[in-house]
Amino acid sequence: MMKPRGSLARERRQAYLLVAPAVLVLGGVALYPILAAVWLSLHRFILVFGERRFTGLENYAYLLGDSRFWAALGNTAYFTAVAVTVELVLAVPLALLLQKAFPGRGLLRASVLVPWAIPTVVSARLWAWMFNPEYGVINRLLPGQDINWLGAPGYALHAAILVDVWKTTPFVALLVLAGLQGISEDLYKAARVDGASPWRTFVSITLPLLKPALLLALLFRSLDAFRVFDAIYVLTEGGPANTTETLSIYAYKTLMRSGDFGYGSTLSVATFLCVVLLAAVWLRLLGREEAAR
Amino acid sequence: MRRVSFIVLALGLVGVLGVWGCRRQDAAGEAGGRTRLVFKYQPLWGPPEPFRELLARFERENPGVELVTEALPNASDLAHQFFLTALEGGARDFDVLVVDVVWVPEFARAGWIADLSAEFPPERLREDFFPGPVEAVVVEGRTYAVPWYLDVGLLYFRTDLVPRAPRTYAELERFAREAMAKTPGLQGYVWQGRQYEGLSCNVYEALWGHGGRALSEDGRVLLDDAPAREALAYLRGLVERGVSPATVTGFSEEESRRVFQEGRAVFMRNWPYAWSEAQKPDSPIRGKVGIAPLPTVSGEPGPGALGGWQLAVNAHVSPERRKLAARLIAHLTSPEANRVLALNYARNPPRPAVYQDARLREEAPFIAGLLPMVERAKPRPVTPYYNLISDVLQSEFSAAVAGLRTPEAALKRAQRQVDHLTGEGP
Repeated sequence: MMKPRGSLARERRQAYLLVAPAVLVLGGVALYPILAAVWLSLHRFILVFGERRFTGLENYAYLLGDSRFWAALGNTAYFTAVAVTVELVLAVPLALLLQKAFPGRGLLRASVLVPWAIPTVVSARLWAWMFNPEYGVINRLLPGQDINWLGAPGYALHAAILVDVWKTTPFVALLVLAGLQGISEDLYKAARVDGASPWRTFVSITLPLLKPALLLALLFRSLDAFRVFDAIYVLTEGGPANTTETLSIYAYKTLMRSGDFGYGSTLSVATFLCVVLLAAVWLRLLGREEAAR
Repeated sequence: MRRVSFIVLALGLVGVLGVWGCRRQDAAGEAGGRTRLVFKYQPLWGPPEPFRELLARFERENPGVELVTEALPNASDLAHQFFLTALEGGARDFDVLVVDVVWVPEFARAGWIADLSAEFPPERLREDFFPGPVEAVVVEGRTYAVPWYLDVGLLYFRTDLVPRAPRTYAELERFAREAMAKTPGLQGYVWQGRQYEGLSCNVYEALWGHGGRALSEDGRVLLDDAPAREALAYLRGLVERGVSPATVTGFSEEESRRVFQEGRAVFMRNWPYAWSEAQKPDSPIRGKVGIAPLPTVSGEPGPGALGGWQLAVNAHVSPERRKLAARLIAHLTSPEANRVLALNYARNPPRPAVYQDARLREEAPFIAGLLPMVERAKPRPVTPYYNLISDVLQSEFSAAVAGLRTPEAALKRAQRQVDHLTGEGP
């Protein structure tokens, strides 16, 4: 009786020992920086002045009244919502198309990924040229008055959304495609036997069974879009008049350009909390989906 | 047991790497009796030989010194970011560094660059250099950097479309309208209106042209005043009245230069670099371009924003290295070095005397001809807060120029945020 208990304890100890490196690494690379940022965010800490004093929640109080922060949050939320929605709406038909068997499908599947494979900075620079109001190809193709894509408030954020949609729709389509392939062919056969129309089949079979894949794509994309930085930074640097400034860009400018580590950390923590909240919502939805099955 | 020894080995390896990484900090030290002096700068575009020769001469004159150059990112804000993190971390692996005009007070206040007043007394700098760059490198009566080469905002105009360079804002607008009336599709005045540092330069120039200062007597950044309001209203007005295209709010230097280069604009505000592009053999405007100081309200030649680079010494290095670094700065900022940079890299000398040099006048007449502009060049507000506030200002300036807010509202908002950052004001 004694012996198995002892071996169990030993096994447990061994298990702890085995996960210890992973826990240590995670703590070192994930937990420590987050805690450090939280700690920094409680200080007035401006590099240039060598000033570092504890101010408690003062930065957070300023954050609540900081109209630039709320504007950035609004821009980020709008960017995320519109970009992710458009990407999903475009990705589903694209995935259906890619699933169909036709000659050259493998090649097409690979080539669809090209926009996603180009580094964002490179493609954003490419788009910046195309958006150029004077010699850009987009204004040449569009009839009517030249549009000041990156210089006019209202247009600039949508230009950035367009770039994001162009770049990540293929990725979302691949996620959806993976979901499609998980749907049993028998169901479609049964639907055909019952004489269901293609639309009916899509609404009653494909969409419901695709839900976990769609939710997963939503999770990935919205978390990613919420932290958007590189595309917008290359296109506009947050201009004109900060109408394209997202939370990441605001935090970057405060931290790295101004050297205001205290308030910059506050902004980072705020962004982090938003992302955590978003992730919690999606994960909950996903969990419910799993449980329902 | 074997596993334990493996872990010990791995940890040992990490430790060795860590120690080696820290030792690299001192790589700029003495190696085998020779002193390595590290110079961090942005690449000078052009043939490498003349600059290499300039550096080699320093090595010959200082036996036992090995000069190492390390390149910085070409974008000014990336270079700033590099120094911000490196110098805050007490980096000692470079001795001499280039600093932008707007960084000197900031770095000096942070204690990152050494006081060079002993080697380069402010009085002597005032005698030898233009007033603008000296104002930028002397902080509270002490020298923290030495001007290396400079840049200045200019007005480019089309000699075939207007009778002469305009002196006032009203004249610029009248000339532009007259030319635009004759040639359909022609634009009047292109400048830099995108939200970035270039916009700040354009706004300060307009502000000086309206008699403003942007800085109070006691060094406070003061923007919410009449000249600033008039300056922003003037820039917005250019767009509203059709003198400048609406697209100017998305322009940085290159966008405006392209429009001007293709012969589609009468006037352009830009830096001297646009000249050589305009004079290329295949340029449509070759031989039809003139330069002048920027216009003002009064008709006095207007000051252009001062740009360019200064040399400073890393305050974290030992006193002996500091002495050597100061000697390198003296070598690189000498009139002779100024000439090398002007003739081979089209960099404007910060010393008035060099502009009288016969060889410069003959071989680089354009640079010699910039004298009236460079002697009026003005630094943007000299304050340690510059980088902290420029971000706020850029967005408010952009809002006013894009017509999103009135100049009054934009400046009120700007002042409030500036006061919060600097801890001043009510």
